[in-house]
Amino acid sequence: MKVQIVLAGIGGQGILFSSKIFSELGLRLGLDVMGSETHGMSQRGGSVTAHLKLGGYQSPMIRTDTADILYSFEEKETYRTLRFLRRAGTCFINLLSEDRFDKKILDHLKKKEITLRAYDASGAASKIGSILTANIMLIGYSVGTGLVPFRHEDLRCVLASVSKKKDLKMNLKAFDSAVREGRSSLNPL
Amino acid sequence: MAEKETRILLGNAAIARGLVEAGCHVVTSYPGTPSSEIIPAVVEYKKELGLNTYIEWSANEKVAFDNALAASLTGKRSAVAMKQVGLNVASDSLLSSAYTGVIGGMVVISCDDPGPLSSQTEQDSRFFAMFAKVPAYDPSTPQEAKEMVKEAFELSEAYQIPVILRPTIKVSHAKQSVKISPVKVLDRKADFKKDPERWAATPKYRFVLHKKLNEALKKIEERFEQESRWNYEVKASRDAPLGIITCSVSFAVLMDILEELDLKKEINIFKVGTPFPLPQKRVADFIERHKRVLVMEETDSVIEYQIVDKSKVLGRLTGHIPLQGELTPDVIYDILARVLKEMGMADLEKSGDERLAKLIEDLNIDVRRPTLCAGCPERAAFFAIKRALPRAIYSSDIGCYTLGLNLKAVDTVLDMGAGITLASGFYHAYHQDENDVPIVATMGDSTFYHSGPASLLNAVYNKARFVLVIMDNEITAMTGMQPTPGSGITAEGSKGEKISLEELIKGCGVRWIKTIDPYDVENLIVLLKEARKYTQKRDGGIAVIVARHPCLIRYPDVCRENPVKVVITSDCDGCQYCLDYFECPALYLNEEKDRVEIDRNFCVDCGVCIHACPKGAIIPV
Repeated sequence: MKVQIVLAGIGGQGILFSSKIFSELGLRLGLDVMGSETHGMSQRGGSVTAHLKLGGYQSPMIRTDTADILYSFEEKETYRTLRFLRRAGTCFINLLSEDRFDKKILDHLKKKEITLRAYDASGAASKIGSILTANIMLIGYSVGTGLVPFRHEDLRCVLASVSKKKDLKMNLKAFDSAVREGRSSLNPL
Repeated sequence: MAEKETRILLGNAAIARGLVEAGCHVVTSYPGTPSSEIIPAVVEYKKELGLNTYIEWSANEKVAFDNALAASLTGKRSAVAMKQVGLNVASDSLLSSAYTGVIGGMVVISCDDPGPLSSQTEQDSRFFAMFAKVPAYDPSTPQEAKEMVKEAFELSEAYQIPVILRPTIKVSHAKQSVKISPVKVLDRKADFKKDPERWAATPKYRFVLHKKLNEALKKIEERFEQESRWNYEVKASRDAPLGIITCSVSFAVLMDILEELDLKKEINIFKVGTPFPLPQKRVADFIERHKRVLVMEETDSVIEYQIVDKSKVLGRLTGHIPLQGELTPDVIYDILARVLKEMGMADLEKSGDERLAKLIEDLNIDVRRPTLCAGCPERAAFFAIKRALPRAIYSSDIGCYTLGLNLKAVDTVLDMGAGITLASGFYHAYHQDENDVPIVATMGDSTFYHSGPASLLNAVYNKARFVLVIMDNEITAMTGMQPTPGSGITAEGSKGEKISLEELIKGCGVRWIKTIDPYDVENLIVLLKEARKYTQKRDGGIAVIVARHPCLIRYPDVCRENPVKVVITSDCDGCQYCLDYFECPALYLNEEKDRVEIDRNFCVDCGVCIHACPKGAIIPV
């Protein structure tokens, strides 16, 4: 498997933790992992992005038009990072619903065969008891939809291994719940 | 541990791993993006492996350099890490030690910041290698950085010379699955052998040392000519008219792009891992074999300048590579597209989606600038400064509080320590014309320990007058919460000797010193006005206020002790004064209601915003 992932959001939304999940996933699957992160000044409330490249890349940065998946934890950061997504790529946004997204851009993405899925990860995370798990829930949701090439069990194991002891139970609960929501979004009962 | 265990490592952690694998005895540093994660990673390895490494956060980069150098003079292996502008501070030591040399291997890690993303310049540390006449390694990936660290120690010991490792930010902050090797424990006892002609060389002996240095450099260049591990060709499968000489992350980016476009078979690559001294023969031979050679390097043109015959060379000097900024994949793609087109080799598709770019531009999304955190004590201090002395010249410094810019309470940011030196310089320039202007200098605690005392005692000695506010949050916050001499905690987390800021200021000759919690905005305003008066008094002088409140990120519990919950009443008329002049991330405009509201996800109940509403609409519950 070769996959390039962009994670976008703002300082404090757990971008670095999300990046850790995917890099450890790569390690678990025996893939070469390469990526890059924002540290320093931008972390103070500024835009934060992480790039993750699994399966045999040499550089830590993703070129415009080539990312397979974009996870965006904040609407505006999505607009800022959409250019990375390739034709027929997939985008998951932490957003109340797709209707909130800019119509013209949505149409344009459709023409490029880009799949865009909105999921209210912040809302779901608050409901489950910790807003801090919104990042985990967006990832979990994506796995549930089956639109990304990651297996539920693999990501769950990785999540368990990288979570702090005090967060472990909450993180897994949030993840599992979001996976279920992702699945049911495909087959509404 | 397995012989070939693989771990996900940040570039800086891989460098740290290289240090322990090389058996490095002493590691020193002053924090600064993108170098700050090296020391904490060494501390972790020390604990994990039960090593005897001496590790310190030093007061500044020069101090760090000298401490590491001394260890090397006793025969031990040492390393000093810093950001690229830190090497400016340590350059005096670097240039001198190139002459005197070292005994145990010494590696100088200087992390560059093309962009710049978190620095005041884009300077290329490899120029410092040339300037100081010491060899430099230039890694492309975390894995390579780790291996180069080990090689750098060998080279340093073989030629008794300090060696620079120059990772750029995209190596330092890259994350890679890195193969780790066993750790070497070098049993070396400190044994300083006196040799005054070398270690205390006078100018006469310095001439001799310079000659020896030049001879060593020549030998190192010959060694780099033979070096195939760091300097190698990636050959095209057919006759290639175009060759590219490249290094650092640019090499990695280029390889990914060539792979993606299936162009590897068309272009020869010469990857240079030792940019100084440049393996001249191999470079000349590579150029000889091609019609044109593109030199693609970050951040400046160190390799390109060293090339003797540039008649076939394309690069910055021919306008093919931008003179400033990071060589991102997009930039490299465009450079490649232009060169391939000029040479009639290929016509690449234009990068980017113009329609999408236009649609996004039409949305007019504000740039999300970095801001001080909700509840940051520095915001409270800046707010009080603006209130008390609204027409002052505000000289500031490097740290989180640079973000006082947003609050219009920062007029200058030059380099570490200049908050004070520019203030005294401003004073004298105005005073010369018999003009009295209010000047408020601001500086963080870590920056003050780094380079404040010399600046301050100079200002006192030369009778400058200004108000200095030291924002003491008891930590080096911007770079990731490293301890300061004032926190009294060492790099390894044990108790050190705590340095009193007030005593230090007193020692600089300041006679007016007051300490206050900046959350107490009203009294801070009173104090600032008093301080200003003192600078105007006949027998007055420099007035220093220590605004002390711990960083909320580092010490969240301290701030939860006295929560002040606030609400915004219906008196809010949406004037947005608080958003413009207080800029707390927890305050936002509800456009539908045309009123400011509080985002409880961000609010930390500091209560300082009570002072930020001119209508009195923010009140405690």
